[in-house]
Amino acid sequence: MVRRVRTARPIPGGMRWLSPALILSVGLIYYCIFYSGYLSTFSWRGGRTPMKPVGLDNYVKALESPVFWQAIIHTLVFFVVVYTVQVLGGVAFSAAMHSGIKFATLYKVIIFTPVVIAPAIMAPAHIQVWSSGGTVNAILDRLGLASLAQSWIGQSSTSLMVVTAVQCWGAVGFGFLLYHAAMGQIDNDILEAARLDGAGNIRTLFSVILPNVRGTTVSLGILNFITALKLFDNPWLLTQGGPAHSSEFLGTMIYSEVAGQSRNIGYASALSMILLVIAIVISVVMSVWGRERPPRAPSRRQAKRAERKVLTSKATERHRPPALAANKGGDA
Amino acid sequence: MLEIRGKFRKIALQVVVTIAVIPFLIPIYTMIARSLEGRGWSNYLQVLKVPGFGRFFLNSALIATGSITIVYLATMMAAYAFSKLRVRFKEVYFWMLMAALTLPEVVLIAPLYVTAVRTGMLGTYWAVILPVAALQIPFTTLIARSYVDGIPDALFEAARIDGANAWRVFWNILVPLAKPIAVALGVLVLINAWNSYLLPKMFLINDDMGTVTLLPEFFKRQYNDDTPKVLAAAVLTALPEVLAYILLQKQFERGMAAGALK
Repeated sequence: MVRRVRTARPIPGGMRWLSPALILSVGLIYYCIFYSGYLSTFSWRGGRTPMKPVGLDNYVKALESPVFWQAIIHTLVFFVVVYTVQVLGGVAFSAAMHSGIKFATLYKVIIFTPVVIAPAIMAPAHIQVWSSGGTVNAILDRLGLASLAQSWIGQSSTSLMVVTAVQCWGAVGFGFLLYHAAMGQIDNDILEAARLDGAGNIRTLFSVILPNVRGTTVSLGILNFITALKLFDNPWLLTQGGPAHSSEFLGTMIYSEVAGQSRNIGYASALSMILLVIAIVISVVMSVWGRERPPRAPSRRQAKRAERKVLTSKATERHRPPALAANKGGDA
Repeated sequence: MLEIRGKFRKIALQVVVTIAVIPFLIPIYTMIARSLEGRGWSNYLQVLKVPGFGRFFLNSALIATGSITIVYLATMMAAYAFSKLRVRFKEVYFWMLMAALTLPEVVLIAPLYVTAVRTGMLGTYWAVILPVAALQIPFTTLIARSYVDGIPDALFEAARIDGANAWRVFWNILVPLAKPIAVALGVLVLINAWNSYLLPKMFLINDDMGTVTLLPEFFKRQYNDDTPKVLAAAVLTALPEVLAYILLQKQFERGMAAGALK
């Protein structure tokens, strides 16, 4: 009789190990969401003031408010511009830096430093750049375009543009980092084959490089959308959502309702719930859309290389979360 | 990647890239140049002399250390359980955690604020550390689990056969082997905790609890919009971060990239 070697089963008793993460993260986050849903049915100024139940009035108020719709439009404009600039800048810089340029590390440090510094710390500098006596106007003056000089931050026609530009300043480096890593994994054989077939640089970029980094482009899209939805730091620090709500975002609206003078915690909670629903719907839609046309199947050699290089990306295949997700690192 | 032939084209590309990075330098140049206006370097000396300046850094360090410790322990333990231990309904818990991945932090501030007021946590470091950690854990667990999945089960079984209990296996096998991913995730949490602005602004209401991200506002009040000093303070605040990045480029880049590799 052959004694079967018992294949070791996983060690029991794992719940104990799981509980810190579950209690803290799932507990706190789900508690907040349910509590927020509950609070959103009241009109409440916080503290000891009475909580007046109002049903769904806060949601109606939000959907009827022009400021809310303005904030949604700002979010969309902001998303489209920042995403475009990030993809174009990221691809251009990383392609250039993979092409044997000198001082690549120096350039990399210059465009990546803005990703690392907190927006809150850089804000005073950005304000000086865009203020009426600031650097942008000085440069325009030097170029003989003094007539274009204006108070960029202080007027409602340009305040959104300033917030967007400042965000782009920090976002390009992040896009660059991801594209740089993704392009580093493209097999040289493919590039050489393209070249032997007579493809020029432009053709190689569009037909070989970009299809191979499609995954990065999709992830950046989701990350950027979530960043735009939750945006608070830059608009608050630069313009406080003003003047006259011209750079208002959902994040600044919620903050003003929680911490501002005329606060209404119920309304803030209703706005939070709306934001949450949009975030979930959009990230599910985008990750489904991102999977529809998978990038070309990599060659075996390429796959092997990729496996060796990126341990983390395995996460994609094995445990793809429902909402292929955006991380908080995506503030960039 | 691209093939640039000929000296002229190479120089042209170099020039184009050099011009293209100029916009990235403008705010930094402005910050430094204007911080020296008026009395030059003595602006910096005066900022350094402000009582409580160091306190902001200490507070940020405290919050970062607290968040990193909590995230590290919770993540590694969860990755161990998800990957190598037997748990009922394991995948259900995993998906519950993953559903929190996209959560924007602003969504939490209204309920958190009310809760913090009611439980007396308003104005304590916990009111910032706990949400910061809670928001990072889903993501760090996702990454750490797939990393730990890659460590052969045989190693864990061998240790078990040698009589090691779950704790010893965790500390002597998982923790050392998962070090590379832990460093990358640690840097990610460090950056996010150090740069967080909304939560400290909301919950650290006393001046002596402020984090570095609240420094510019503190100096604006202090100096009544004396721009050079406000900017000198901003330079001093940004400096440690920039230095840390330049010294630890690889780790920073891996940490930030981990934030998007999904």
